[in-house]
Amino acid sequence: MQQDLPLVRMVNINKRFGAVEALNNVSIEVRQKEVLGLLGDNGAGKSTLIKILAGVFPPDGGEIYFNEEPLKFSCPKEARVRGIETVHQELSLVDMMTISRNFFLGREPTKGIGSIALLDKKKMDKECRRVIAEIGIRVRSPNEYVSILSGGERQAISIGRAMYFGAKLLILDEPMNALSVKETRIVIGHIEKARELGTSIIFITHNVYHVYPVADRFVILDKGLKIGEFDKKEVEAKDIIEMIARGKV
Amino acid sequence: MDNVDTGIGRVKENLSLSLSRIRRWPEFGVILAFSTIFMVFSLLAPKFVTLRNLTGVFTIVSELGIITIGVAFLMIAGEFDLSVSSVYALSGFLFVTLANSFNSLLALIITLMAAACIGFLNGTITLRAGIPSFITTLGTMMFLRGIMLAVTGGRSVVYNGDLIVPTMLTRFIGRGFRPSHIWFLALALFFSLILTRTRYGNWVFATGGKKEVARAMGVNVNRVKVVNFMISSVMAGLAGCIVINRFGVANASFGMGMELEAIASAVIGGTFLMGGYGTIIGAFFGAFLMGMMRTGLVMVGAPAYWYQAFVGAILVIAATINIKLRRLEM
Repeated sequence: MQQDLPLVRMVNINKRFGAVEALNNVSIEVRQKEVLGLLGDNGAGKSTLIKILAGVFPPDGGEIYFNEEPLKFSCPKEARVRGIETVHQELSLVDMMTISRNFFLGREPTKGIGSIALLDKKKMDKECRRVIAEIGIRVRSPNEYVSILSGGERQAISIGRAMYFGAKLLILDEPMNALSVKETRIVIGHIEKARELGTSIIFITHNVYHVYPVADRFVILDKGLKIGEFDKKEVEAKDIIEMIARGKV
Repeated sequence: MDNVDTGIGRVKENLSLSLSRIRRWPEFGVILAFSTIFMVFSLLAPKFVTLRNLTGVFTIVSELGIITIGVAFLMIAGEFDLSVSSVYALSGFLFVTLANSFNSLLALIITLMAAACIGFLNGTITLRAGIPSFITTLGTMMFLRGIMLAVTGGRSVVYNGDLIVPTMLTRFIGRGFRPSHIWFLALALFFSLILTRTRYGNWVFATGGKKEVARAMGVNVNRVKVVNFMISSVMAGLAGCIVINRFGVANASFGMGMELEAIASAVIGGTFLMGGYGTIIGAFFGAFLMGMMRTGLVMVGAPAYWYQAFVGAILVIAATINIKLRRLEM
C-alpha cells in the first residue's frame, strides 16, 4: 500500500514571532508506524513546529503534506478530524472534571430526547471504563476526578483517548517530565503499543534518555534550524546530547 | 461464622459507600446548612412555618435566585459579573418606561434583549481588552448605575401599562404563590440540565477549569464565556422586571449590593470562586438560605441589621465546608 510513503511531510517551514525567527526552513518527515524523536534545547523551535502541525497557528511559509495531501489547518479541531492528536504535558486534562467528562471533552456523544441532545452518559462511562481497563489504571470509576491521578496515569489516559479517537499521528509534547522512573517505563509501554497499532508518533523532549529507548529516528533542532537527522543505529544517546549542547553536528 | 462476618462486612461496606456517596453529592453542604437553619427558625419563631410566610420568602428568593443562577453559571466558566445589580435596576426602569407607552410583552422582550447586549459587551470587553471580568463588570456596574441616577434624578417611575407581563411574572396565583416562583424553579432546573447533561455544560466546566485545555480540545472558550455573560445579564434583567412588576414602581437605586448577595449565594451553594466547579441546584439552595435568613431573623426578633452579619458568617463557614468536602475527592 502506501507503506513506503511518509505519513507527514513538513517542507521548508518558516515561522517568526516579532523579531524572533522561531523556525527557519525546517523540513521533517514522519514515516508510517515510526517513533520520531524531536530533540532540541529550550527555545529550539520544537513546540512551534508541532503546534503548526496540530493547527494551533499557521506557518508563515512552507507546505505540509499528510499522506501526500496538502494540508491547510485553521484550528486544532480540523487537525484532530484528520487524526492528528496532541498530548501535552500540562494541557490535556482538566483537574476539576471527572475522567469520563475529560475523555470526551469536545467530542461528547449525545442522544436526542425530543429536539434537544443530551449527553450520552451511559456510553461515556462505558467506553471510558473500557479504555481505563485496557491501559491498566486502577480507579474505582470513570467518574473519579482527574486530580486524584498521578502524572503517569494522566499521560496514559491522554494517549488512550487519542488512540480511542483513531489517531494516525500522535504528538507527545514532553510526556515524561515530572514522571517517576516506574511511570516513565509504563508510558514507554503505551507508546510502543500505539506504534504496534499502526500509529506514527512524534516524541518531543530535550531529554534524550526519555526518547532513546523507543525512537526509530531522531531530528535535532537548534535555534530554529534543523541541525541533524539520524536513524537510531547511526547514533548513541550521548552523541545526541553533545549535538544539542553544542548546537551543531 | 464466615457468613456472619461477610454479612456484617457487607453491611459496613454498603454503609460507608452510601455515606461517601452522600458526601460526594455536591449540594450536600448547602442542603445541610439550609435544613439546619430552617429548623432553628421553625423552633424559635412559631409563625415561620406558615404558608403565608414561606411564600413570602419564596418571592424574595425567586428574585435573588434568578440572578444567582446566571451568576453561578458564569462563575463556573471562570468569570465574574458584578454588573447584575445595575442591570437589574436598569431593566426594571427600561421595562416600565417602554410598557407605559407600548405593549408590556414587547417591553419585556426589548428589555431582555438590551440586557443581553450589556452581557455581550461585558464579555467582549473582558476578552478583547484582556482585563479581569471583575474589573470590567465593576466598571459597567458603576457606569450604568451612575447614568440611571443622573438621568432619573432619583425620581421613581410608576407602572401604568397593561396586565400581560404582570400576570406572567408576579400576580398571585393562589395561596400566596406567584408565577415568579415557577419561573425560578423552572430556570433552575433548565440550567441545571444544561450544565450537567449537555455538551455545552461540559464546555462550561472545562472553560472554567482550565481554559487552555478546553481550547486545545477544540472548545471555543471565548464563545462560551460571552454566551455565559449574556445569560447572566438576561437573568438579572428578568429578575429586575419581576421586582418592578411586584412593586409597580421603578427606581434607580433598586438592587444595590445585590451582586454580592448573588455571588455569596452561589459560593454558599458550592460554586468555586475561580471557576471550574459548581452546581445550579446548589445556587438554588444558596439563594434560598439567604432569603430565609432575611425574614427568619426578623421573625425571631433580631434587628434587621443582623442579617448582614449572619450572612457574612455563613458565607465563610459554608465556603470552608465546601472546600473540605471537595478535597475529599479531588
